[in-house]
This record gives sequence, C-alpha cells and structure tokens, in this order.
Amino acid sequence: MKKINQILLITSLSQILFSCEDVIDVDVQDAPTRLVIEASLDWEKGTSGNEQSIFIRTSTPFFNTDSNTSITGASVVVTNNSNNSEYVFEDLGTGEYSTTDFEPIIGASYTLEVINEGEIYEATETLYPVTDLTVLGQSREDGFSEDDLEVNLTLVDPEEEGNNYFFKFQKQGELLPIFEEFDDEFINGNEVDWYLEIGEDDETEKKEAFQPGDTVDIEFYAISPAYKEYLQILVNQIGGVGLFESIPVAVKGNCVNLTNSENYAHGYFRVTEVVKISYTFE
Amino acid sequence: MVKVFFRVFYSKCNLSSFDVSIVMFINQNTNEIMIKQLKESVPIAPIGNVCFFLFLFSSLNLIAQESYTLSGKITDNANGESLFGASVFLEGTSIGVITNEYGFYSLTAPKGEYRLLISYMGYTNKYQEVVLDQNQKLDFEISEESTELDEVVVTAEESEMAVLRKPEMSVAKMNISTVKQMPVVLGEVDILKSLQMLPGVTNNGEGSGGFHVRGGAQDQNLILLDEAIIYNTSHLFGFFSVFNADAIRDMKLYKGGIPAKFGGRVSSVLDVRQKDGNNKNFELNGGVGLISSRLAAEGPLFKDKGSFLVAGRSSYAHLFLKLAGEENTASFYDLNLKTNYAIDDNNKLYLSGYFGRDVLKFGEIFNSSYGNVSGNLRWNHIFNERLFSNMSAIVSRYDYDLGFTTEEFEWLASINNYNLKYDLKYYFSDKFKLDFGASGIFYEFDPGQVNPSSDTSSINPLKLDIKKAVESGVYVNAEHKLTDKFSAQYGLRYSNFVRLGGQPMTNYLSDRPVVYNNNLGIYERGMPIGETDYDNSSSIKTFGNFEPRASLAYQLNDASSVKAGFSRVAQYVHLLSNTTSVTPVDVWAPSGKYIDPQLSNQYSLGYFKNFMDRKYSMEIETYYKTVDNRIDYIDGSDLIGQETIETEILNGESRAYGLELLLRKNEGKLTGWIAYTLSKSEQRTPGGNAGGLGINNGDWYNTPYDRTHDISIAGSYRLNDKWSFGGNLVFQTGRPVTYPNGQYEYEGISVASYADRNSDRLPAYHRLDLSLNYKPNKKPNKRWKGEWVLSVYNAYNRKNAASISFGQNRETGANEATRTAIFGIVPSITYNFKF
Repeated sequence: MKKINQILLITSLSQILFSCEDVIDVDVQDAPTRLVIEASLDWEKGTSGNEQSIFIRTSTPFFNTDSNTSITGASVVVTNNSNNSEYVFEDLGTGEYSTTDFEPIIGASYTLEVINEGEIYEATETLYPVTDLTVLGQSREDGFSEDDLEVNLTLVDPEEEGNNYFFKFQKQGELLPIFEEFDDEFINGNEVDWYLEIGEDDETEKKEAFQPGDTVDIEFYAISPAYKEYLQILVNQIGGVGLFESIPVAVKGNCVNLTNSENYAHGYFRVTEVVKISYTFE
Repeated sequence: MVKVFFRVFYSKCNLSSFDVSIVMFINQNTNEIMIKQLKESVPIAPIGNVCFFLFLFSSLNLIAQESYTLSGKITDNANGESLFGASVFLEGTSIGVITNEYGFYSLTAPKGEYRLLISYMGYTNKYQEVVLDQNQKLDFEISEESTELDEVVVTAEESEMAVLRKPEMSVAKMNISTVKQMPVVLGEVDILKSLQMLPGVTNNGEGSGGFHVRGGAQDQNLILLDEAIIYNTSHLFGFFSVFNADAIRDMKLYKGGIPAKFGGRVSSVLDVRQKDGNNKNFELNGGVGLISSRLAAEGPLFKDKGSFLVAGRSSYAHLFLKLAGEENTASFYDLNLKTNYAIDDNNKLYLSGYFGRDVLKFGEIFNSSYGNVSGNLRWNHIFNERLFSNMSAIVSRYDYDLGFTTEEFEWLASINNYNLKYDLKYYFSDKFKLDFGASGIFYEFDPGQVNPSSDTSSINPLKLDIKKAVESGVYVNAEHKLTDKFSAQYGLRYSNFVRLGGQPMTNYLSDRPVVYNNNLGIYERGMPIGETDYDNSSSIKTFGNFEPRASLAYQLNDASSVKAGFSRVAQYVHLLSNTTSVTPVDVWAPSGKYIDPQLSNQYSLGYFKNFMDRKYSMEIETYYKTVDNRIDYIDGSDLIGQETIETEILNGESRAYGLELLLRKNEGKLTGWIAYTLSKSEQRTPGGNAGGLGINNGDWYNTPYDRTHDISIAGSYRLNDKWSFGGNLVFQTGRPVTYPNGQYEYEGISVASYADRNSDRLPAYHRLDLSLNYKPNKKPNKRWKGEWVLSVYNAYNRKNAASISFGQNRETGANEATRTAIFGIVPSITYNFKF
C-alpha cells in the first residue's frame, strides 16, 4: 500500500494551496566514508547473461560533487552455492570489475566476496525468474492527468504468492531514472495493468510530460524479498522525504563486513532476471 | 481534634449497583462520638469485575453545630448559558465553591446570616444576603460586564482567589472570548492554535493537525467534545481546527495533574464544551470569510424549558479552485448540534452532536473523505442539594475513505466507540468534596478494507481483522481543604482493558514478531508459525492499572501559593504513525498480545502569584514525566494495510521535563501574556526481545516533539469601543528531524545515507501575527451587530520550514536541500455578525 502513501504525498493539500518550496543551504552531519558495492548481476531474459560487471566505490559527504570515488585493487569473486562454480571479476582499474563467463541459473543461490584493504565483505542472493511484460501502447485518459501521455504496460503475476518486482524507467535525455518496487500482496495471480506518466512540474515550468517522439527505456526485474525491502526504503527516500512520508532511515544492504561488522558496505548484491523494453511515443 | 474515617466501596459484583457509604467518626476532645451515615444507591453501567476500596484518614476541624446546604445553578443573564468555574463565596469566611461543568454549585455552612458573593471573570459581581437556617436552593443569573466601560477584563480565569487555593495545577483554561480576540489564520478562529500560545503546548509545524503537550505525542491527548472522544482534531491537514468557535462555550486543557475522572491518554486532556444555546432569545451568529463561512442559530425551546444550538461551517475555496481550472480541490464542513430540556428542577437532559468531514479530490484519479461524528445524550440528575450526578451515553466514530479511480479500488477504515459513563459529585462539606464514577468504552477498530470498485480492477479485495476492546474505569477523587491555607486533591482510578477475541492472532517463532538480523544489522519481521484463533467470547489479553492522582496547594499569603502534583495515567490505544506529520490515514491500534499500554508518571511543582492588585499574575511550573511502552518503528516499517502491526514496531520509553513560565496581564486596555517553556523530550527504544541494540543503538534520542525553547507572546489592545488590536509572537526551537550524513552512487543516482533518527533540527520557527477588529455603528439598541476582523498571519513572511527534503537536482544531478514552507504571509478578512 505504498501507493496510498505516495498519493498522499502528491495530494497533500498544503502543496496545492499555499506551500512554497525553495532550495536552501543546510548544514548536515558527515558520516565516516564507507565502501559502496554495486553488484547487480542482471540476466536479461533471452540472453546468455555471461557478461556481468560489479562497481566498487566509496561514499562521500552529502553535498560533495567530486565524482571520482572509484576503488581499485579489490578482489571480487562470485560463487554459485549449488555447484560451487566460481566467477572471478577482473579489476578494470576504473572501479569496475567484470566477468564474461557468469552462468545465471534460476533458483540458484550466489555468494559475493569482496576483499578490500584487508577487510572481507560478503553477501548472498537468490535468482528469481521474471514474468513477461507487455507494452499495450499509449494513452492520455488513464493516469494522473488527462492531458499527459502515459505508456501502458501489463504483466501477469504468477499463481503462487511472494513475487517481488522492480521497475526502472529511464526517459532518454533525462538525467534521473524513475524507480518503482512492489510485491504481489494485493495483486496476487492477477493480470496487472501498470502505467508510467510523468507529471508537469509546476515549479520549474519545464515541460516534462512525455511528448510524441520521446523514448523511455523500461527495465522490469524479478527480485528477492529481501532486496525488495531494501529497495522499498531506498526508493521511498529518493528525492527526499516530505511531510507525509515516513521519517528517513538508514538503508542497509546485504554486503556484510566479516572483518569489522561496524564497517558494513553500502549498496547491494543482487542477482535478477530482467525484461528490457524501449517505447517511443507516437 | 476530629477524626474522619471515610470509606467508599463499590462493586459490580452485586447487581450493577453502586454503593457509597460514608461513615464518619467525630472524636472530639471530649471523647464524644458522633456517627453519621449516608447511603446512596445508584444504577451504574456494567463495568469490569472490579472491587475497589479507598480509605482516607484525615483530620478536620469541624465545628459541632448545625450546618445547612445552599445549592443551585449559576447562569448567564443574557443567554441562559450555564457558567463553569464561577465562584460562590460566603463573604467573611473561607467557605466557597466553584461551579461544575453544568453550572451547579453546592456549599455547606453553619447556620447563620451571610452575604453571598458570586463572581466570574468578565462578569459583574453579584451579592446576595442569605439567611442559612435550612437547606435551600438558589439559582443566580449574572451579567457580563458592560462593554461600554473603558476598562475591559479579557481573561477568562475563574476568581483568582480560587486559583490560588485550589490544588488544581497544570491547567490551561481559555474562554472563547479570549480566543476570539487573537489573530487568526485565514479568518477562522481556532482554539487549538490559541492553546499553542500557552506554555507547554506546541504544534508539530504548519500543515499538520493536533498539538503536543509537555513533550508528548499527538495521540497522547484525550480530546473531548461534550465528552465524546474526537480522534481527528483538524480540517485540511491542520489548517482549521474541528472546533467551531461559535458553538464552543469553554475549554480546559489539563497538561498534568489530570483528575481521576479522566483516563485513557497519558499526556493531556482537552475538555471542550459546547454552548447549550440561548434559552432567552433567538440569536443568529455568523461570519463570512475568504475561505469559509459559518452560521449558528440558537434559541429557546419547549416553552423555555430548553434551548437549542445549531452551528455549521463550510469552506468554499474549492469552488474557486474549480473555477480557476484546478483539478485538485479540498473542502470541509462541519455541524454542531445541541439541545437541552429541563424535565424539572432536578433533572435535565442534554443531547449534543458533532458531524465534520473533509473531502479531497485530486483530479480524476483519487478522492478521499474523512471525519468524525459523535453524539451524546446526557442526563443531569440532582439527588439532593449535595449530590449531583450526570450520566452520559456517547457514540463516536472516525472514518476515512480513499477512492482510487484509476486503480479501481477503495480503501475504508474506521474506529467506533460506544461509551457509557456515570459521574457523581458529593459536596460532603465545605472542606470535603468527592467525585466518583465509572465509565465503560467499547471500541471497534476497523484498520482497513480494500474493495475493488469494478470488475476489471486488478486489485484483490482484502479485509483486515476488526479489533475489539473494552476499556473501563472506576474512580474516586476528593477535594479536601485541610486547613485554611492547605488544600489537597487526591484520588484513584482503576482502569481495565480487555482486548476481545473474534480475530486470529499470528504467533511467531520464539514469540518474536520482530527479529534483529545480526548478520545484516537490521530489524526484520519475525517468522510466523501459525495463528491462534480467538473466538468472540474469549479475550486475547486483559490489562488493569491503578492510577493514583494527587495534588496539593499551599497558600503562602493572599497573593501567592505553591502547588505540587503527581499523576499516573494508563493509555490503551495507540496511534501508529511513522510519518513526519500525522496524516488522516494513520491507524489506531488497541493494546493486546504484542502491544502494551503506555503508562505515564508525571510530577509537577508550581508557584503562583498575583501582584499589582491582581492586575498581573505569574505561574511557574516545572514537570518531569516518564512514559513506559512508547512505540517506535523499525527502519522500513510499513503501517498502512498492515495486518500484523507487531512486526513493524519496537517497544521503548520516553521522558520529558521542563520549566514553564506564564506572565499575564489580566486587566486594562492592554491584556495578554508572555509564555516561556524550556524543555526536553526524548525517547529510547532498545531491541528488547527482538535482540540488537535498538533504534539509535539503544541510546536516548529526541522525540519529534522536543522543543528546547518555546516563547509565545499574545496581546490585545482595546483602543475604544470600535477599534481593538491583537498580536501574537511565537518563537520555537526547530523540530528534531533526520538529515542525510553522506551520499553514494547506486543505480545511476545519488543515494543519501541518513544520520541517527532525530539527530538534526529544522531551523527555528518564528512568526508574528496581527489583527484588527472594527465594530462599526455601535448602537446599543440595534439588534444587528457587525464586526470586521482583519488579520495578517505571519506578518513578516517568514518561510518556516515544515519540512526539508534532500534530493538531486534534476538538471545538474547535484544534491540540494529543498525547504517546504506552508504559510507565507496570509492576510484575511472576515465579517462577523450577530442578530
């Protein structure tokens, strides 16, 4: 029922009638730097999924704009726990570590081990199968606003309960993607219609709604329940937390520091199956 | 030397009747023994199986001579409204009493001739010679001080003599006329905003309803409108209070020292009473503002044996929004009703009701409505000149309804309660008064149901279990004047809460609904291992608590006194909210298998002084309060549509302490007050049974209601009959919030890592409000009386942050902090009329 929360946010009256927003300078606290492990082994449905990359960086102070945070010289290995196959990720010297022989197996459990500066980080994750996603086309009348274009999608949630999903939408030419995560608690076993519409931003008066000719890249992932819990917090807190949203909290991933548990890493080790579609508005 | 042995016994065990026996041994120096017995048997609502004794020993200086009782009612001469808190004194003695909520008084004095003084702030004193040689009944009507006078008394306090002597402390009272003098936002008089001008009372920032008392949470306030529990106190997310000033007679906020009569909320009691309605003349009141308008009608009924009041309000800003092409609209309306009927001198019936609703509509995709409805039937019965009783049957409901047009489903949730209570007051002697009674509340919580609104909806229907509970309480409370200078109020409440069956409860592995994952360092939901089904006739869990209450007052001299108080209160229902600001969809949950009742202990100490011939008064109070079983939420908690709330929460505790200072100017052209509060409110949530250290490593952290400094200055200046001015100045330390303490790149965006919960603060909150009242053409004989109220809220246009959110700039990708300020400068104009 995150949807209700989201809608409340959009709809808080204060935003409509009287409120004003502006960007201000704020002093924030500085946490000690942490390792960030972005280990997303995503197997695009219908491909071999052999080529995978893992990124290792560090966190920075919140308002820092220095983007070079890559960590080189770490050791990165993924193991399939069922058959003990080992995939060693090669250090490309840019913070990226890659392999070309990863074998994704539905239902298999994988363990990631990262060794950096003598500290060992470990995480385990299971690969879930993804259901098909179909683009139905576009419309104006569905969605939040009757004037704006939206793309309509449909998916069929499998019979058994406990499926978790993650959408990543990237409008081409736009800097920031849009994320949505959900589970099948309220929709189990149903054919589910989904839409993506981008609202106008009154503040900037910049046309942001989809226009004919715009292309949106859609990625649809089947994810583990634990990763969904992680994403739920992360996604809710993207772009900040308003008056009617949950108080912001720490987002802790699954990369545990075995050497010094206090020094856990940000980021997540996920193994997923994904459907990728692009849609161009007419 | 006189010894009084006093016993109250009541039991439900024997046929829902209620016995009070008072036995008195008077042991004079002469060894003479006198026994006086009084027995009253009165019907009582069935309550829990409670047997309950109270023994009070004390010494009294009674004069062994004949005494008689004088009783009656004090009402307003102009409209027949009963006056609560008016004082009735026998001049030249220390014998006096304050009228109760229904204007009733009773005082007992030795046989003799007296001059009776009836006084009430803002009213002309009334004197009456009485010869007390038998029990007698005397009703009085007093009149408001003529507004023709240059000097106007604006404050609404009861007689200052009484304030000093009565042990009652930590009480904030406001007369509706005081409230109406204060500047308002959007032209609508708001008693909740006015209360926030008093020490120890704060808001949670603009754009949020409710209020906080002495560092307590919003759900820890018991809000009563004519005794009915109100769950949602504000319209439009806190912009307006649900209380229509035209329908309200008075209100009393107990910040501490809560009398034994009240129970169920640990922080405060706000007791709001509606007007009875003018029983002399038909009267029309109204106001036209920019956002909303109101109209109230009142007048006599039943051949002057009763009266009625109907008051309605509605906003119409949404109509303009619609005209302006805005698809999103919000509106509210409410209706207050009250009528009363005097059957005879000793029996009076009151029927009151409230109905309020907010309607929000967001384009074609979503609509929502929510509100309170309550009704109350009361029966005042005077058994004799010393025993007053009131029985109330109350129903109250709060519900919200969200409709999702696009997703084709609706979401409904509600909380209903049915409340029966019986309160009695026995005016035992001039020195001893006894309140006692019982109440029972049946609750029905419907945390939510999802109904697909069409066949094509992809949403499955869902119904969360309805939770039922019964809360009952019995109490006895004594007001005891020990000596001329020393008086006490002490009592005991026993409360009982039964969480009823009729629903399954999930069982968890190792009985742990929340489990700390040592590996990942996070709190996770426990592993369910089946359910226990409780049938309708069983109870899931029962709680019982003794709640002692006491306060003492010692009068140092004519102008000053010191007071001390202690109260213990149990709270069995909890408002679950993990959002920055409580929203209308937040759910109430009863205590039960996994949620324990909140228990508070509060200690307070105060010094009260009147000076400069009572023109000024000063109140200094300090308090320390602890609350056990205060809930906080695990990271990532999801409360809406949650069947198993226990998997989202951790049990903790909270504490608050502070110093409050109130300096008032009570008389003159300029009246008003300066209030300052220095306080701390913090909580601690250890992992407990779930394991781990808990939230913020189990350390104490600020609650969102912590305000180190809170200064409020309110003043009104009456230039002449036509013009008067008002001003408010508020300064508050910023609200504790959680800010980021770092960032990292993940999934192509910058993700913020957040610091410890509530370890940062919003910038300080301050603002100035101004108002101007103009009463044109003041012709005393003309019935139509009009008044213009021009007010400016936030006059210097301070952008007070309601929240600050952190995110990436869409174009540059750089992180930035965005402040949301709700009200800038808000001028408004209202025309009020009376006919």
